[in-house]
Amino acid sequence: MSKEKGIPPGWSYNPASWGQRMPIVIAAMVGFAIATYLALFQLKVIDTVWEPFFGNGSQKILTSKTSQLLPIPDAALGAIGYLVDALAGIIGGTRRWRTMPWIVIAFGLAVGPLGFISVLLVVLQPVLYDAWCTLCLVTALISVVMIGPAMDEMLASLQYMKRVKDAKVSMWKAFWGYKEVQGRVI
Amino acid sequence: MWAQVINAILGIWLMAAAAILGYADDKTITNNEHILGPVIASFAIISWWEATRVVRLYNVPLGLWLLLAPWVLGFDNTAATVNSTLVGALVTGLSFVKGKIEDSYGGGWSAVWKSDTLHAREASRQPRVDLDK
Repeated sequence: MSKEKGIPPGWSYNPASWGQRMPIVIAAMVGFAIATYLALFQLKVIDTVWEPFFGNGSQKILTSKTSQLLPIPDAALGAIGYLVDALAGIIGGTRRWRTMPWIVIAFGLAVGPLGFISVLLVVLQPVLYDAWCTLCLVTALISVVMIGPAMDEMLASLQYMKRVKDAKVSMWKAFWGYKEVQGRVI
Repeated sequence: MWAQVINAILGIWLMAAAAILGYADDKTITNNEHILGPVIASFAIISWWEATRVVRLYNVPLGLWLLLAPWVLGFDNTAATVNSTLVGALVTGLSFVKGKIEDSYGGGWSAVWKSDTLHAREASRQPRVDLDK
């Protein structure tokens, strides 16, 4: 059964199925679109930014010192982060938790820090600048919502790596999905 | 999961409470709530999914801190004190509510380093044929 459906041993479903992965990829694309819009404002390509609730809050936050800490504006970095998440979510088939653990684990690791930094920025908005930025809050919510559903697939890959280790098969080759070790461990 | 939905709402409430309850001028109280609110909401949201349900427990120390904060930080505003203790008590209590786990996850996170786990036993039972796809 697990051979056809790609369900990991001891699991009741396949965390790498498209039904599991597509919502995360869509969320990441929405995050990418919003972050790109905010980055265009920060790069002065567009003059105003949409802010329905907090007056000039978005403007204040998006032009703050924190947002210019790095050579490129923080929303542009966010956009890159969402794009990496979307790509890491879409690459590979429905058995990728064992055919290419590297992408699944990279995916899990990419989702984590993006969420962490988003929450940190949400904390800094009112504490340092006494302002809120609606779209920044929306992107933060998106990156937090992506964490939970990305982690189950990473768990399946990590359990697979544990079985590889116990079977004394090369963990290096299994991690990168070398053909010669495929099927040696289920 | 409902308990963690409530905790997420409580976290978001903390972000708005100072402005709504009218003590936004007090920086100590407001900063405390503005720091804890997003973090509590994030941990609660991450634990909506079964595989990461354990993350709900990270909110236990944060809820306890909210319970104690009015005295540790010396709040001099009744509304803020009531709000902090009430939200703290609710977050702490609700963090312990695990809720239903309907799917199985090969033994969970501890199965990544432990031996003789559900996924290892299930894998050894399956015939190793035609897996080279």
